[in-house]
Amino acid sequence: MAEDLNWAVGGEAGDGIDSTGKIFAQALSRAGRHVFTSKDFASRIRGGYTAYKIRTSVDRVQSVVDRLDILVALTQRTIDENLDELHDGSAIIYDGERSWEAEIPDEMTAVDVPLKSLAEDAGGAIMRNIVALGAACEITGFDVEYLDEALEKRFGGKGSKIVENNKKAARLGQEYVQENYDLDHLGYNLETTDNDYVLLNGNEAIGMGALAAGCRFYAGYPITPATSIMEYLTGRIEEYGGHVVQAEDELSAINMSLGAARAGARSMTATSGAGIDLMTETFGLVATSETPLVICDVQRSGPSTGMPTKQEQGDLNMALYGGHGEVPRFVVTPTSIDECFWKTVEAFNYAEKYQTPVFLVSDLAMSVTEQTFPPETFDMDDVEIDRGNLVDEDEVEEWLDDQGRFRAHAATDDGVSPRAIPGTTDGAHMSTGLEHDELGRRTEDTEVRVEQVDKRNRKVETAKEREDWDYREFGDADADTLVVSWGSNEGALVEALDYLEEDGVDVRVLSVPYIFPRPDLSEEIEAADDVIVVECNATGQFADLIEHDTLTRVKRINKYTGVRFKADELAEKIKQKLTEEVPA
Amino acid sequence: MSSEVRFTDFKSDKQPTWCPGCGDFGTMNGMMKALAETGNDPDNTFVVAGIGCSGKIGTYMHSYALHGVHGRALPVGTGVKLARPDLEVMVAGGDGDGYSIGSGHFIHAVRRNVDMTYVVMDNRIYGLTKGQASPTSRSDFETSTTPEGPKQPPVNPHALALAAGATFIAQSFSSDALRHQEIIQEAIEHDGFGFVNVYSPCVTFNDVDTYDYFRDTLVDLEEEGHDPTDYDAAKEVILDADKEYQGVIYKDENSVPYSEQHGVDANMSEIPDGAPENAMDLVREFY
Ligand SMILES: Cc1ncc(C[n+]2csc(CCOP(=O)(O)OP(=O)(O)O)c2C)c(N)n1
Ligand code: SF4
Repeated sequence: MAEDLNWAVGGEAGDGIDSTGKIFAQALSRAGRHVFTSKDFASRIRGGYTAYKIRTSVDRVQSVVDRLDILVALTQRTIDENLDELHDGSAIIYDGERSWEAEIPDEMTAVDVPLKSLAEDAGGAIMRNIVALGAACEITGFDVEYLDEALEKRFGGKGSKIVENNKKAARLGQEYVQENYDLDHLGYNLETTDNDYVLLNGNEAIGMGALAAGCRFYAGYPITPATSIMEYLTGRIEEYGGHVVQAEDELSAINMSLGAARAGARSMTATSGAGIDLMTETFGLVATSETPLVICDVQRSGPSTGMPTKQEQGDLNMALYGGHGEVPRFVVTPTSIDECFWKTVEAFNYAEKYQTPVFLVSDLAMSVTEQTFPPETFDMDDVEIDRGNLVDEDEVEEWLDDQGRFRAHAATDDGVSPRAIPGTTDGAHMSTGLEHDELGRRTEDTEVRVEQVDKRNRKVETAKEREDWDYREFGDADADTLVVSWGSNEGALVEALDYLEEDGVDVRVLSVPYIFPRPDLSEEIEAADDVIVVECNATGQFADLIEHDTLTRVKRINKYTGVRFKADELAEKIKQKLTEEVPA
Repeated sequence: MSSEVRFTDFKSDKQPTWCPGCGDFGTMNGMMKALAETGNDPDNTFVVAGIGCSGKIGTYMHSYALHGVHGRALPVGTGVKLARPDLEVMVAGGDGDGYSIGSGHFIHAVRRNVDMTYVVMDNRIYGLTKGQASPTSRSDFETSTTPEGPKQPPVNPHALALAAGATFIAQSFSSDALRHQEIIQEAIEHDGFGFVNVYSPCVTFNDVDTYDYFRDTLVDLEEEGHDPTDYDAAKEVILDADKEYQGVIYKDENSVPYSEQHGVDANMSEIPDGAPENAMDLVREFY
């Protein structure tokens, strides 16, 4: 495995940390290097520590690790917060002219660069972060010209003067280090390749998936970390004749999306935490009226308003069981950023094929993390659209009763009824959240009630048979140790395999992107000596499901600090679990 | 088809379970006639209904329809209309549905000015839950949950609408069949959000706001020479708490509906078989 570099810039919120990090990440990606980013941020706009971290290698990287090699620190707190990850060989770039006195451990390389003064020389103090990027290039022997493209992308819209100034700022930073320090690139030699990569985060992948899948309507209400899906769609969806509405609240958002879906549009809403609670009111209506709708929950740390900017996978039960009564719904959980794209496409297809709500459950770590992919990963020719049992004017005739009324909720063998969108001649019908007959009319007739409940549940049975509810597999297929995971832990687990291999521990990893319906893991679990379920929550919601399905007790690795798993940390925890007894 | 459409085409074969004499019969008839008269037919009409006796209207009418959850009919209607500008969208519900649980949605629907018609069947009581106070109940109106009256002033839905920037505000009385139909028709024809509060008496639980009461007190704004395009005159009518009236109260003739302001005119139900042709451009943005 090629050597990887771990780099970070940190300061106060409002210091431009995000855009600085993004520029460097893009430069690395342009240079044909893989990038995986992560963010530390607090729930405030100005003030408060925030950092943007980049891990980069010529090999694929898909996790964060406990190591920081180069840190651009705009505040002392940036250094303090990261002491655990800094090591003897780390270099810290800071501005000695500024009022704070950097306390940097002796073993580390302190690189004092007058960021602000040099930025002023280039045309404005605001570019001090770019000076620091230039310095970082020099320290790592990374060609500063790669920065140029990223700067053009970032500032191109603001005019060539700004771009030129920024390029100059980067060079001043680079030259300053060259002239004042004898670091010999600290031994780094950041290899470059001819590969073209795209760099995107999970929410962008969901938004892009929605557009590719023909989503035309989106209503949402801003909430961290789901908002960036709405931001992505706004301004882009219009190009396909679609529209985004910022609703007055989540109740409105889901009901608007529902309205658009009933009108025949592919429609979606997304939220997180508190917003999913409000939307719960309408889950049952979506399911009972058999409306195709994609509801995305980008999980964050709960309960209540919890920790809005922190990672957690605590909403699984909510997605599975939320709402009163018994409501059939699908729960799809992408396991990586590229899968955020593909699973979104799938979610729209399931929604229409089975005329049912589909929960697309992602999480904060995935939503803010950017990762590089070859562009073919998102080959649009592979996008298939299946609108399910949509009937046109002629087909409607087959579904009329003897009095010419459209049987919109016909109790078919597979549970899937014909769907006539408004405007279809003779298809007019009403749907309701009340229990209803085939025509959509309210009923309390015991037989019809049972028939309709069975019919709606039958869709799930049909889907179980017709679709692949598979898992993704990594590691050694014959290993005695089985690790099962869902959602964004996959990347860290896959990298943990390398660490475990070094220690001679063979592990088979199953990463599950479907919670309901979900793959039957009985055989896999039976074949293993040790079964460990990994998830970012305190109670082990997925582990409970597996125990329920397989009647086998499993070991659990749970993390609920608000921080995602790291590869090396997971490797340690897995080894530790192997020495423990299975719970009685 | 429209010239042949009769209002009975909008009738479903389900017999209403409303109490004999309920104001909602008249409200519904007027809506169906207005829809037929304005050239609509059941296949291009979408009715969204609230929850309550009033919300049952979706069941008794024949069209594409959704009967949703309590108070959220307006957002549903908004979604339908934005996705399908070709449809005639009508939203109907009660005073509890619209001004209590749904009050937040009401003012936002008003200010969005989506081109649809909102009919509130105002009986100044909760009918379906058997006679509790509603937001339009008089402050001394005694009910099972407010034995001494709600002791709060009723909401003034027209004032709320005007303050939120409404472009069409009207009031009708379900038993004045012709005027009611005319007013709904005008709301349908309005370019934007057409809001009509309909006095629709509950004969079972409200013995104060009765047919007789409205017949005796109702003033027709048209007969009074009220000019609905005059904002100040509208304001005066709306803030006059002592007067019961019917007619179009306010109408902004320069109303620009949401769809026009935001360029939302596509039929969103039509999508390609696969990703759009230029979809790889979406990926390239991330270079
Ligand atoms: C979330 C929710 N809360 C409460 C109810 C019970 N409920 C049904 S109808 C209604 C009030 C209806 O009053 P109104 O809108 O005035 O309609 P009316 O029956 O008078 O026509 C209530 C509170 C419900 N269905 N949903
Ligand atoms: S209870 Fe009142 S509102 Fe309900 S149907 Fe009877 S009369 Fe009409």
